[in-house]
Amino acid sequence: MGTYILRRVFQSIALVFVILTINFTIINLAPGSPVIFMAGQFGMASKEYVEAVIKRWGLDKPLWERLLIYFANLLRGDLGYSYRYLAPVSDLILERLPITLFLTVTSAVLAFIIGSTLGLYAARHVGRKVDAALTTTMFVFWSTPSFWLGIILMIVFGIQLRILPVSGMINVRAGYTGVMYYLDIAYHAILPITTLTLIMMPQYFKITRDAVLHQLKEDYVITFRAMGLRENELFRRHIFRNAILPPVTIFGLQLGYAAAGAVLIENVFGWPGMGRLLLDSILTRDYPVIMGIYLMISITVVFSILIVDLLYMLLDPRIRYR
Amino acid sequence: MRRALAMLVISTILLALLPLAFLTPPATQAEKSPALQPITCPRRGGTLVIIHWGDPKSFNPDSQVDDALYNIAMQIYNRLVALDIDYNVVPDLAESWEVAPNASVFIFHLRKNVKWHDGYPFTCRDVKYTFEAIKKYRGIAYGLLKMSKLKSIECLDDYTVVFRYSEPFPAFLGFLAWYGTFVLPEHIFNKSEYKDWMDPKIPALHHPIGTGPFKFVEYVKGSHIVLEANPDYFKGRPCIDKIIYKIVPDATAALQTFLAGEGDILNNRPPLSEIPRLNKTPGVIVEMRPMPSRWYIGFNMLRPLFQKKEFRYALAYAINRKEIVDKAMNGYGYPAEGTYVPAIKWAYNPNVKLPEYNTEKAKELLDKLGLIDRNGDGFRDYPNGTRIVLRLLIFTGAEEEAIARVIKEDLKKVGLDVKIEEYEIATWEAKVVKQRDFDMALCDGFEGPDPDNMRIRFAPGAYINFANYSNMEFKRLLDLASKEPDPEKRKELYWKAQEIMAEDLPYLPLADLVAFYIYRMEWHGLPWHLPGVVGLGVYERVWWEKGTPVTTTPKPATTTTAKPAAPTTTATKPSPTTTPTPRTTKVVKTTATVTATVTKVATTPVSPGAATVTLVKTVTVAKPTTVYATSVVTKTVTATTTVTAGMSPAMGIAIAIVVVIVIGIAVALARRR
Repeated sequence: MGTYILRRVFQSIALVFVILTINFTIINLAPGSPVIFMAGQFGMASKEYVEAVIKRWGLDKPLWERLLIYFANLLRGDLGYSYRYLAPVSDLILERLPITLFLTVTSAVLAFIIGSTLGLYAARHVGRKVDAALTTTMFVFWSTPSFWLGIILMIVFGIQLRILPVSGMINVRAGYTGVMYYLDIAYHAILPITTLTLIMMPQYFKITRDAVLHQLKEDYVITFRAMGLRENELFRRHIFRNAILPPVTIFGLQLGYAAAGAVLIENVFGWPGMGRLLLDSILTRDYPVIMGIYLMISITVVFSILIVDLLYMLLDPRIRYR
Repeated sequence: MRRALAMLVISTILLALLPLAFLTPPATQAEKSPALQPITCPRRGGTLVIIHWGDPKSFNPDSQVDDALYNIAMQIYNRLVALDIDYNVVPDLAESWEVAPNASVFIFHLRKNVKWHDGYPFTCRDVKYTFEAIKKYRGIAYGLLKMSKLKSIECLDDYTVVFRYSEPFPAFLGFLAWYGTFVLPEHIFNKSEYKDWMDPKIPALHHPIGTGPFKFVEYVKGSHIVLEANPDYFKGRPCIDKIIYKIVPDATAALQTFLAGEGDILNNRPPLSEIPRLNKTPGVIVEMRPMPSRWYIGFNMLRPLFQKKEFRYALAYAINRKEIVDKAMNGYGYPAEGTYVPAIKWAYNPNVKLPEYNTEKAKELLDKLGLIDRNGDGFRDYPNGTRIVLRLLIFTGAEEEAIARVIKEDLKKVGLDVKIEEYEIATWEAKVVKQRDFDMALCDGFEGPDPDNMRIRFAPGAYINFANYSNMEFKRLLDLASKEPDPEKRKELYWKAQEIMAEDLPYLPLADLVAFYIYRMEWHGLPWHLPGVVGLGVYERVWWEKGTPVTTTPKPATTTTAKPAAPTTTATKPSPTTTPTPRTTKVVKTTATVTATVTKVATTPVSPGAATVTLVKTVTVAKPTTVYATSVVTKTVTATTTVTAGMSPAMGIAIAIVVVIVIGIAVALARRR
C-alpha cells in the first residue's frame, strides 16, 4: 500500500516534467513572438527597441537552452517572470487562484450534487414523463455553448430583470468593505456559478442515470427485490453505492481542472480569474505565465487522478492496490 | 482573439489622436490658450465609471506599448504637450514653446506650479530624466522621437528645457504629444540601486506617482483601477471625486455591462451591429468621428503574378470599396480615396484617385494577361491549367471576416478564387510580415499623426512593408520629406509620394474607420467636446449633472496666472437645474455628422507644421471653445432614465435564495405527486 502510493507519486512527478517539456516545445514552436506584443502595433517600435527586448528576456538563446534554464529555475522554486506584467509568475497565479477556485469548485460541487441526484431520480422513474423531461433538458444544457448561455442569463437577469449584476467581481461604484465586500463577491458570482453549474451538470446526470440503470439489471437487485427489500432502502444502501463510482471519477478530474479556471465564462463575466490570465497570456505570448499555469494544471490533474484512485478504495472495498 | 482584436482597434483609436498634430493654429493670437485656464466646476462630486477593455501591463507608460494603460496614464501623468480631439497640439506641462527655424531645436517653457502626487516639486530635471531614459532604455517612443538623432537635452533653468537634434525633425511636436512620452518623476526612478526603469523594486511601478489630475488609489488585476481627484492639480482640483476603470475584456459583455448602468463611458469598441441599439437607449449618447486609420490589403509583390501591375489593377477594379463599408462595416466608415488618409487634411492629396469599381475593366485586364478559365469551372486558371487560388490572410475578428467575404465574392465575379485564412495577430504577423507566406493580406492601421507614418509603413526597407514595395523614388521622397523644415515643400513631397503609390498600387486602401465615443448624458466636460482645452482622453474637466452645485466661483487652487475662469463649459451648455435638462446632442450614424466634422477640420488653418516650425515664439493657442459645434444634433433625447447600478448584494442574494427555495418547493411538490 505505502510503496504503491510512493510509486504513484514518483510516476506523477515524472509525468509532470514530461508534460512540461512537451508544452514548452509546443508553445515556443507556435508562430508569433512575445516581442511583437511588447513592441505593439507593428512598425511603431524601433529596431533598437526590439533588439533590447529580445536580449532582456534571453529570447535569442536556442530552445533547448531556454528549456534547461526553465527547469533549473523551477527546481529552485522559481516559476519565472512575466514578460507582460513584469511580475513574478507565482505571484500572478497565487493572486488569481482563490478567485477562480471559488467559482470553479463551487460550481463543480453543485453540478456534482444536483446532477447525480437528478440522475438517480430520473433512473428511478425511467421511462416516465419526468425522466424524459429531465433527459431532454440535460441534453439541451450539454449542447449549449457556455458563453452563449452566460450572455443569455446576463441579459435576462442583469439587463431585463435587473436583479443580478452583469459583470465583474465587485460593485466598483459602491466599494463595499468588510462582510459586505464578501457578500458582494458572492452576489456577483451567482450568474457565473449558475452558468458553469448548468453546463457541467448534464454529464453527472447522464453518467449517474446510466450507472443506476446498469445496476438495476444486476442479479443482486432481483434477489433483494425477491426478498422483499423496500425500494428506498435498496436504492440507498446498494444501488447508490455501486452507481456513484463513475460520477466520482468525473468529479475528481473536474476538480483537477478547477485550478485552470473557466476561460470562456470568466471572459464573459469579467471575472478576474485564472482563465482570464491564461487567455491573456496566450494572446500576448507571455510564455512564462502560460508555462506556470500549465505546470499548475498538470500537477492538479495528475494528482487528482491519483487521489481519485485512492478514493476508490474507500468507496469500493473490492478494490485493492498493491 | 477578442483581446487581440480589441488591442488592435484600441491602438488604432489611440493612434487616431495623433494625426492632426500638425494642424497647429496660427501663432498670431497672443492670448492664453484655454488649455492653460484653471478648471471650473459647475457642479462637484461623483464617480466616473469607465468600462475598459484590458489590463495595463505596468505603470511605466513610456517603457513598452501598453494601449490599455494609455488612457489611464493620461489621468495620472502629464506630457509636455498633448493632442486634442482635432489633433492639434495643446500645452500640458509646457505652457509655451519655441522652435528654431530649421526645426532641429525645440525650447519648452515649463509650468512653475506643478507638484508630483507625493508633494515633490516638478522641474526640468524630471523632463531631462524622462527623455534620457527613453533614449537609454529604448522606450517605446525611441523610434518615433528619433532618439538616435537627439544630440542633447539641456535644462537652461528649472523651468526651461531644450531639445537639440542633429537634423531637422519637423514631426517632433506631434510625436511628443502622443505615445510613450509621459513625464516620469526623476526623484523616484533615478536611483543607483535600480538596474533600469523597469526594475520591480521601483515603487512607482506598482503605485504610480504622476503630476496628473487624478491620483492612483488601487488596482485589482483583472477587475478594476481606482483613481481619486488630485487636490493639488496645477489646473485646480477636478470636479469629480473618483474615476474607476472597470475592466471587461469581452466586447459583448462590456456592452451589456454598460447598458445595465454599471458604467458611464464605454471604452470597448462595441460590435458595429449594436450601435443602433445603443443609440436608442435612453440617456446614452453615441458620437462618431472619422479617424486617420484605414483598412487596406497588401499584394505580395514577391509573387510573379502580383509583380504584373495589370493584375494589381484588375483586383483594384474588381473590389467594391463601397460595398465593404456598407456590408462589412455596417455603414460605419468611408470608402477609401487616395493613398493617404483624408483625416490628415494638409498632407492628403485629393487629386490621387484609386481605380473605380468596374468589373468589366477587371475582366478585360485579366483576359489580356492570359488568365482565362481553361476548364469551364467558372474560375480563371494559370496557363498550365491549375486554378488560380489567391490566399487572403486576415486577423481573427468579425469585421475582418466580413471584409474578406466581400472581397472573395467580388473577385469571384471576375473569376478569381480566393481562399480566406484567418489567424490571430501574432501568427498573422509571423506569416505575412516575417515569412511573406501569403498572396494578399488584410491589415488596418493608424496612419497619423504625421504623414511620416507612410515612411514607417510603406517605404522600402520598413519592417511592415509586407507587400515588399520597392520603389526607390518613393522612398527618396519620403526620406526628404521627413527632414524638410518648410511645410509647403514637405506637403509637395508627400503629395508626389502619394501619386507614385497610387500609380504602383502595391497596397489597395479599402475603407477609413470611425471612432465612437459612447457615454451617459449626465456627464459633461468630456475631452471630445473640448478641442484646444484638454488632450483627448484626459478627464480633468469632467463634471457630473447630479453633483453638488457650486455657488461661488472656485478659486484656482495653485495657479499663479490666476485669471477669472474662462467660459469653457458653462457658457455653451444649459446649466443644470434641479431637473436635469437633457442635452440634445445625440449623434446617429449619418453622413451629416461626418461632413460637419470634416468641414470643421477644414476651417482650421491649414499648413500645419508650418505654424510650429517657423515661429520663433509660439504660444499655442487652440481655438476658443466652440464646444458643441462638432456634434450634430440628429436626434433629441426624450427621456432620462435613472440608471440603478443593480441593487445591494444582500438584497440580491436574498432574492436568489428565495428563488432557489421556490424551485425546491416546486420540485418537492412535483415529486410527491
